[in-house]
Amino acid sequence: MREVAVVAVGYTRVSEHWDKSIKGLFIEASLKALSSAGLSLKDVDGIYVANAFAGYLQRQTNLASIIAEALGLTDTFAVSIDAGGASGGLAVHEAYRDVAHGIRDVVLVCGVEKMSEATSSDVLTAQASVEDQEYFRYTGATLHSLAALIYKTYMKRYGVKQEDVALMSILDHEHASTCQHAQYPFKITLDSIMKSPVLSDPVRVLEVVSPSDGAAAVVLCPHEKAKELGAPHVKIAASQLVRDSFNIVERGDVLAMEALVKAASRAYKEAGVTPSDIDFAEVYDDYSVMGVIAMEKLGFCREGEGVKVLKEGEAKLDGRIPINTFGGLKARGAPIGAVGVYQAVEAYLQLTGEAGANQVKDAEVGLTHGSCCFNSIAVVNIFRRCC
Amino acid sequence: MATSAYWRTRFQRYRLIGNRCKECGKVFFPPRFVCPACGSVKLEEYKLPERGKLVEYTVVYTAPKGYEVMTPYVIGIVELEDGVRVLAQITDVDVEDVKEGMEVEASIRRLPEQLEGGMICYTYKFRPVIK
Repeated sequence: MREVAVVAVGYTRVSEHWDKSIKGLFIEASLKALSSAGLSLKDVDGIYVANAFAGYLQRQTNLASIIAEALGLTDTFAVSIDAGGASGGLAVHEAYRDVAHGIRDVVLVCGVEKMSEATSSDVLTAQASVEDQEYFRYTGATLHSLAALIYKTYMKRYGVKQEDVALMSILDHEHASTCQHAQYPFKITLDSIMKSPVLSDPVRVLEVVSPSDGAAAVVLCPHEKAKELGAPHVKIAASQLVRDSFNIVERGDVLAMEALVKAASRAYKEAGVTPSDIDFAEVYDDYSVMGVIAMEKLGFCREGEGVKVLKEGEAKLDGRIPINTFGGLKARGAPIGAVGVYQAVEAYLQLTGEAGANQVKDAEVGLTHGSCCFNSIAVVNIFRRCC
Repeated sequence: MATSAYWRTRFQRYRLIGNRCKECGKVFFPPRFVCPACGSVKLEEYKLPERGKLVEYTVVYTAPKGYEVMTPYVIGIVELEDGVRVLAQITDVDVEDVKEGMEVEASIRRLPEQLEGGMICYTYKFRPVIK
């Protein structure tokens, strides 16, 4: 096995990019990444495209080939990864394996999503399409309603209030307020969250991700090559993927999140670290409550104490375990298929000391968490500072 | 949805038919091809009970395509008499009157979706048991 480095990153702001197509966003992020490490398209020998909804929202399937063609790379290996919100983390995982096992040397991973040019009900339907349609579709359930069932169960079991759980969204917005690439770079208050409309009781608008566009790219290569290139780089210390039943009702305990627990413990083992070694984490908080639960399942606190971490300021940039250092899904924004790659970019920025106002002091080890359908797919990647 | 896809799932929709693993006895709804507990592919039809109680619920205000006209509506987890849990819409009750632990029973209800040729679709929903 070769040691694998992330040697370059590129990304667009998460926004509503009316003037840019999926191809345009992809190429912008990818070319920025390659040129930052002194690489060009002809150095790339593999491309992973992470995307969740192009097939539904743009009626565009076969995305990897379409994009490779647009890049003029007709004979380069290119594959699309479609796993909802786990797509980005999974694409990083595949590229990591390729480089670690010597299959490819320079692999471009780019996550791209374009959700702004669809109606709200189309976006809801697209998001719900990651569930098993032969069952889910005729129940009238939405992802919001599943999150609501998890949310209510969580509040009852641990005796916490919505005002506690909603602190997750406040944290995200606080970190996004100094983030250049955030969709919503401003702070919000508890009052505004509690006054925002209810989507599915108790889930409120300001606790949920919004449709957005964006592309993020990372370039992976062997660590030895990264040193030769001389560009700032970080190592990938672990990458684990675990799955669970899609049907949260069938899982028995809707709060178990077994796939995330397993992925985390395998990743910690692979990297040779424990949760207390993690200096910051980017967690998948498509709903406020999912971010709180993720902190617990990743081992940063005990079960039911996620809200305590938020209340005591431990998740802030200067806290014990900084969470979502650029705003997370809620405020940096969530172009769903690209989220995991944005997280990898953010881990890179933290570990190379390029995080600007959002820098976590002396960060050495960072973790990213991707999820599809409430951790029916959970991806945990761990990154480590070099030298 | 295609007419044939709708037709294929008619037994689970109309009669709450799932299946049960012949090797280890585990029950599944919706029906599965392979038992995830023991790996067996020997599964037999299993009719779920039509009564149970509401374990948890939420009121939906923002609906997917086609379901907008029904808002607000209730989605809940129903634990049937044999312990199997299903996700379903709760109907025939004002959203304010829905209670956790409420006894419910299955009924056949019209889906907002209609298929080509005007075919009307139905599915199970659960309603409060009238005593």
